[in-house]
Amino acid sequence: MESEQRFRELIDRSFAEEISDGETQLLRDHIRDCDGCKSYAELTARTVRGLREFAFVSGADANAQVREIVAQHAGTMRQREGQQCAVQFKVWAAFAAALLMSFAGSAVVYQVARRVAVPVHLDTAQVQAGVLIFWLLPSLCAALRLLAAPGENRGMA
Amino acid sequence: MTLMTTAETETAKIARGLRERDIELLTELVDRYQHRLVRYVLYLTGRRESAEDLAQETWIRVLERGGQYNGRQGFDPWLFAIARNLAIDDLRKNQKTGQAASLPEDDDAVLLVPSSGPSPFQAAARSQDAMRLAGRLEILAPLYREALLLRFQEDMSLAEIAQVVGAPVTTVSSRIYRGLATLRSAFEEGASYGE
Repeated sequence: MESEQRFRELIDRSFAEEISDGETQLLRDHIRDCDGCKSYAELTARTVRGLREFAFVSGADANAQVREIVAQHAGTMRQREGQQCAVQFKVWAAFAAALLMSFAGSAVVYQVARRVAVPVHLDTAQVQAGVLIFWLLPSLCAALRLLAAPGENRGMA
Repeated sequence: MTLMTTAETETAKIARGLRERDIELLTELVDRYQHRLVRYVLYLTGRRESAEDLAQETWIRVLERGGQYNGRQGFDPWLFAIARNLAIDDLRKNQKTGQAASLPEDDDAVLLVPSSGPSPFQAAARSQDAMRLAGRLEILAPLYREALLLRFQEDMSLAEIAQVVGAPVTTVSSRIYRGLATLRSAFEEGASYGE
């Protein structure tokens, strides 16, 4: 009885996965002499065969509909990616312009401040520190803020 | 060796196409897999109407996450795993709305409240034996149905099935044996093999 159980497990295994040549031969020999296991193997084979006899019919235009939806979605995704690229480009262009204006503006302000500083007896180092603290650093912060702005407003400020 | 190289080239081609969102390739894949995908989801959920929707959603996921497929593994298990996750989410959602009963903790306990109308398995049966199996398939837990379908209709290896269901090979084989035992009982009335 215990050996029959072992052979039935082997029969199940022979359908679900590969068994060795030795095991196949052993099983064949046993089935030849054992009606119970022979019947078990036949029923298992019939079950597996029956499982292959289901045919699910798709709607005639089901595939076409799916293809269309996938193509539409791909188009939407491409469009969205294109918009994201455009926003990114604007962000970096605005940042580059702001950076340029910071340095160019600072140079102009420095020239003006140097002239204004003569009558009030301020030396060059004081003028440079003033321009750096009150002009260059704030404008650099404003330029960097463009990169940090959230969402689609980024680079548009 | 040639076959293996061909298979590798095929999956690599699919991976590249998915990365580039190649619509032509996707169309080809839909034609090749849609029918199998619907059948698989149907086996999991037991409901025809949601099977088609879930299969469609699977393709959207494939499009969005195609870059994650590396082409080193088979495409079928990857695709079926996506469909499976969506189907399980759907089952959980339905459970919350009362259309499906007792899911979690033990996934083996996923049971569907029978929907009204003819069973999709009976409708799909193409032989008398298949018709007899249809009744058993309906009451069989979806995880067993799934394992049987992947093994005997999709002809996947146990390792591939394990990849799809995210379970060890031993669990997969045990599901197949238990599923087979339940279905075999459809033919056992009148048959005897000395038990």
